Amino acid sequence: MFGRVSLRQRLVYQVVATVLVIPFLFPLVAIVAISFSGQGPLANYTAVITQTPFFTFLLNSAVISAGTIALIYAVTMLAGFAFAKLKFSGRKLLFNAILVGLVLPSIALMVPMFIIVRQLGLFNNFLAVILPLSAVTVPLTLLLARNYLNGIPDEVIEAAKIDGATSFGTLVRIVIPLSRPITAVIIVWAFLQAWNEFFLPLLFLQDQNLQVLTQVPQFFTSTYGSDVPKIFAALVLVCLPIVITYLLLQKFFEKGLTAGAVK
Amino acid sequence: MTMSPTLDTSDPEDGTGTPGDSRARRGHGHPPTRRPKRRGGRTAYLYVLPALILVVGVVYLGIGYNGWVSTLDWNGIDPNPESVGFDNYAKIFSDSIFWDSLSHVAIFGVIVILVQMALGLTMALVFSGPIFGSNIYKIIVFVPVILSPAAVSIAFRQLLSPDGQVNEALRFIGLDVLTNAWIADPKTALIALAVINIWQWTGFSFILYQASVSQIDQNLYEAAQIDGAGTWRIIRSIVIPQLKGTHATLALTGVIGALKTFDIVFLVTGGGPGRSTEFLTTYIYKQAVQQFNSGYAAALAMVLLVLALTLTAFQMRAYRFGED
Repeated sequence: MFGRVSLRQRLVYQVVATVLVIPFLFPLVAIVAISFSGQGPLANYTAVITQTPFFTFLLNSAVISAGTIALIYAVTMLAGFAFAKLKFSGRKLLFNAILVGLVLPSIALMVPMFIIVRQLGLFNNFLAVILPLSAVTVPLTLLLARNYLNGIPDEVIEAAKIDGATSFGTLVRIVIPLSRPITAVIIVWAFLQAWNEFFLPLLFLQDQNLQVLTQVPQFFTSTYGSDVPKIFAALVLVCLPIVITYLLLQKFFEKGLTAGAVK
Repeated sequence: MTMSPTLDTSDPEDGTGTPGDSRARRGHGHPPTRRPKRRGGRTAYLYVLPALILVVGVVYLGIGYNGWVSTLDWNGIDPNPESVGFDNYAKIFSDSIFWDSLSHVAIFGVIVILVQMALGLTMALVFSGPIFGSNIYKIIVFVPVILSPAAVSIAFRQLLSPDGQVNEALRFIGLDVLTNAWIADPKTALIALAVINIWQWTGFSFILYQASVSQIDQNLYEAAQIDGAGTWRIIRSIVIPQLKGTHATLALTGVIGALKTFDIVFLVTGGGPGRSTEFLTTYIYKQAVQQFNSGYAAALAMVLLVLALTLTAFQMRAYRFGED
């Protein structure tokens, strides 16, 4: 599309791109700038770590994220492998039945979830967050995984079978090693959902020792009065792990995210 | 014709009498029919079972339970709820807050979908042009997508406050006339929510457009250039039509996304001022959690669900999804 480009055209592109990106950059810069204001960066960030149960919440977020990632990954790869590479009757129907979950607004499940959690006695149990979160995330990860696994040649699977591998052996020893890009996507996506979740922990983990990192900013609105710079320091600390993970896995993540949606 | 052909692994291609074909039937006890099944049988269901249990257990059980609760007059606690049949549904249709919420979602949805698609496509084209540091531009636009909606909401409450950074920036560049109370003003609150959503999600449209733009056959551009078409003409006559699939995907996910939007509305405006930014989702939450109208909340949730399913099915048909 871009054949010979003159210097002037280059300049025009650079200026247009910069103008387009400024409104997106501005809030990011403002967030960091506010977190440095007031008593200064050191005091703000120290306050977030020392005046709140920061490390307890960090640990809780990490445990919930790890549990959610493990459950979503296992469930997704097992089902994705079957839907992509095994033939069985009702395959399309079952796949579509799971995909309905993509459309579902999770708020529509709030009343039943509340009651199911109470019936099962799962209040103040991490499973009350992990299970619903996984259930609403699996439809998307499964769609992406199925589309990716469709691209693994059948010959590879056949060859493993000729060598006497069971279907599970084929999945573990052949398919999973070939699935690194989609593995990265599933892990990042599940991590995002679990780490960023706000309402499920708020509703189901009412014991303060069990709450998660997204609650940290609240400490500076309720307990200590509204201290804007510290709230923003908390926001930066909450978002940092996600941003770092994204930057590390950027290439894989974008490839996999588009794999399911662009054909 | 432009998309690279993905490896087609459909059965007929495997031909007849490959070694795999005969082995596949080993141990299944099926008569050697020409069924297009090579492997799997009952074990295949075991692989699918955990996903089914999880999704059916939470989603379908939830929907079913919701359906039942929607026929009750119930505060969510009383052990003996009273059955009222379809009264809750009848009430919805004469509930002006419901209709207002629906129109807010519709306005919000149309704005965010159109703006995100236009911005995302523009960026995909400009950033793939001859510019320095295109990866940095890309990261800046995509980072909002991965941030927690809760964090984004808290941040924008401050940025959009009357003496917040957005108004400050507007004054700085001499656009004092545009300064506003944004989220505190019923006239601009819905627009403010749309802007936040656009800020957070344009990166998603951008990434999808970028991937599909890179798949357009270069020969088409060359042919058009030989025919004397300029950049603008190429975009209009080649790029935009070639991206049909991506437009459809984004419209579909945009509609679903608008109907699902909850966190930012609830945390930024709480549906206010007044009811000026009430969404179906926030209305459901308030009915269920704050007003203890479990039955009515469940009926609203069922209406939302039916709406989401209908709009999705309608669009999938219109865009001809699922036709391989």
